[in-house]
Amino acid sequence: MRTFKTLVVVPAIVVFGAAVHQLANATQATQATQARKQSANAGNQPTYLVEHPDHIQPGLPLTMRFASITNPYQGNAQRIAEGAKLFIAYNCMDCHGADGSGAMGPSLQDNRWHFGGTAGEIFQSIAEGRPDGMPSWGGRIADDQIWRLVAYVSTLSKGHSVTTENFTGKTVARTGH
Amino acid sequence: MRLNTAKVAVAVVLAVTAAACRGGASGSGTRDTTFVEGALIGTAPPNNNAGEWLFPGRDYANSRYSALAQITPENAKNLKVSWTFSTGVLRGHEGQPLVVDKTMYIITPYPNVAYALDLTKPGFPLKWKYRPENAQAAVGVACCDVVNRGASFADGKIVYNLLDGHTVAVDAATGTEMWKTKMGDVNRGETITMAPIVVKGKVIVGSSGGEMGVRGWIAALDLATGKQLWRSYNVGPDSDMKVGPRFKPFYPQDRGANLGVSSWPGDSWKVGGAVVWGWLSYDPELNLIYHGTSNPGPWNGNQRPGDNKWSAAIIARDADTGEMIWAFQPTPHDIWDYDAVNENILVNLPMGKGAKARKVLVHFDRNGFAYTMDRATGEVLLAKPFVPMNWSSGVDLATGRPMVNVDKATAQGKNVKDICPSLEGGKNQQPAAFSPKTGLFYVPTNNLCMDFEGREVTYIAGTPYIGGNAPEKAGPGGYKGEFIAWDAVSGRKIWGIQEPFPVWSGALATAGNVVFYGTLDGWLKAVDARNGTVLYQFKVGSGIVGAPMTYTGPDGKQYVAVYAGIGGDMGLLIAGDVAANLPYDVRERGTTLPDLARYTSWGGMLFVFSL
Repeated sequence: MRTFKTLVVVPAIVVFGAAVHQLANATQATQATQARKQSANAGNQPTYLVEHPDHIQPGLPLTMRFASITNPYQGNAQRIAEGAKLFIAYNCMDCHGADGSGAMGPSLQDNRWHFGGTAGEIFQSIAEGRPDGMPSWGGRIADDQIWRLVAYVSTLSKGHSVTTENFTGKTVARTGH
Repeated sequence: MRLNTAKVAVAVVLAVTAAACRGGASGSGTRDTTFVEGALIGTAPPNNNAGEWLFPGRDYANSRYSALAQITPENAKNLKVSWTFSTGVLRGHEGQPLVVDKTMYIITPYPNVAYALDLTKPGFPLKWKYRPENAQAAVGVACCDVVNRGASFADGKIVYNLLDGHTVAVDAATGTEMWKTKMGDVNRGETITMAPIVVKGKVIVGSSGGEMGVRGWIAALDLATGKQLWRSYNVGPDSDMKVGPRFKPFYPQDRGANLGVSSWPGDSWKVGGAVVWGWLSYDPELNLIYHGTSNPGPWNGNQRPGDNKWSAAIIARDADTGEMIWAFQPTPHDIWDYDAVNENILVNLPMGKGAKARKVLVHFDRNGFAYTMDRATGEVLLAKPFVPMNWSSGVDLATGRPMVNVDKATAQGKNVKDICPSLEGGKNQQPAAFSPKTGLFYVPTNNLCMDFEGREVTYIAGTPYIGGNAPEKAGPGGYKGEFIAWDAVSGRKIWGIQEPFPVWSGALATAGNVVFYGTLDGWLKAVDARNGTVLYQFKVGSGIVGAPMTYTGPDGKQYVAVYAGIGGDMGLLIAGDVAANLPYDVRERGTTLPDLARYTSWGGMLFVFSL
């Protein structure tokens, strides 16, 4: 069972400016809620229920930070093509497979994201790296190169559902390593 | 103190195996068939208790042969599952458990937990469990799944390697960590998957990273303290490779100073691969450690003209100092990813009718040739294809070099089609076994071919350094694997069992004349060593990529143990879709093994069989 202390620590580690601001607002809202409950119960036992309906949830969506971040190259065919070249040049292909089909690293084609699939979240994954061995490229390659990669990676999901595998269906070409 | 003197153990082994090889009748009255008379395992085991298993390949020769004979071709049909154990971990379960002193030791894939099971108690409860700290980032740096090929037991310690580049020694009685030494750097692309051996109080270790531009090495640590005693590189100047006056390669073209530099352009040897991720052998009489080295980096040969010594090589080193004594490249200037890391099985074979037994090593290379070599000098006595192959028309015994078919030579910017064997090789990590009773080798093989297109690649530390795309397909005949019995004197296959999938498990040979292997679709098979008849098979819960082993239980019965847990190259890179535990990583079926996920998913179990 999580303690209240743990719930507070999670946003602090990730430093979500927007989230902290919202937390402050929600605290005021909660106090108001609490006050309403107490007045409704006037004369009965005091209410010790403290509600935080709006801002403390398991897996608080990371998009709160990235909601306002957009990829300047989103949908730009030229930049996507450049991103495809960078995907090879920076050896992304050798970890994630040709077209991102998955190899040493996870598939980028399945439209399932461990750390989020918004432009900002993909940018963060590439820039900061991830615990299972995704290297951090931020500061080593220029941000606008990372945005090209984001634009390209965003196109890799085939659009079809990977949810069900029926074994009479087609297979995809894989390039081994 | 478990180490025995070599002389006593050798005498015991020679006596036992010589008697077996005289082709006497088995208990049932049928005549044993001996295909190669007078064949012997070349070295003593580190223990002479046939009911135990202290080292990965059972003995220093890597024979994977057990003198246990309770299971025979006559009774193997009565085999049944005796017990099982869940390792608590998924992904490729390569390697094999150890059994020492009525205790079974299991090493899991990452995070490389070690278990000690008490074989004397019902249900085999744990004596201890060791959960090392093991850096998570290593998971994304290992090329070919987070496998571990097992531990060695010596002097009351279990020693093994962690994926993140450490070697550890754990007290076998209590599970207490005795020492932990950092040997490789994940940030430079180094991980460790190989099984160490212990030789004269030294733990011998190598690393992975041939696809990561790692400069390969082999090292010795002090068993008592974990302190590194020596480290030798496999590429670079002579001083780094411990090449000195004792270095005597057999072939004239392999002699000269600083070949580990001059056979590379410029400084490219610094990211040249030649890592040691395979199985190790040791000859106590010659005092030589035998190891192989991986492919050179990158796969794209255009970036490294020259022989690229000593990548894709078999190397013999002095066990005390690590000095290189001889070296040989099955594939000079490797441009197909034909690592030479496969095991070197040390045997004494009469190389002709009536000939005296000669100290050889037998090596089933990735490149498709089975080599029988003089293990004192490095001379190639025989090199014959053990799988369908077309990149070479043969090995010139005058030079040891393969004659390359130019139409199968890969190059940057060129898509070469239908090269056999594929980069997975005629055989990969899956270790073969030898039986002195039949004189034959039992070899799990792949029958795969590939297209290969080289491309330019930039070295970026910690990322793959490959420069090639190589989709694979079935070899001629359409079957993708075969378990074969091989005569290393005449260089021919005696019998084979074709399989729909590459045979990615190790082999086990026993004195009962039953050999064991497993399939990627999850069948553990017991086979008559003389003729390849399948005597028994059982569908375990997941594909088998580990090696079966055998031991005597406290009840006196013979048990055969094998991991079920698909992974490795086949179960991660090639199949793609056999995992289920990562909701964010849903892969589609690949063309090489398109139906594999119908028959197996990831798992993590030990299955133990007995009569």
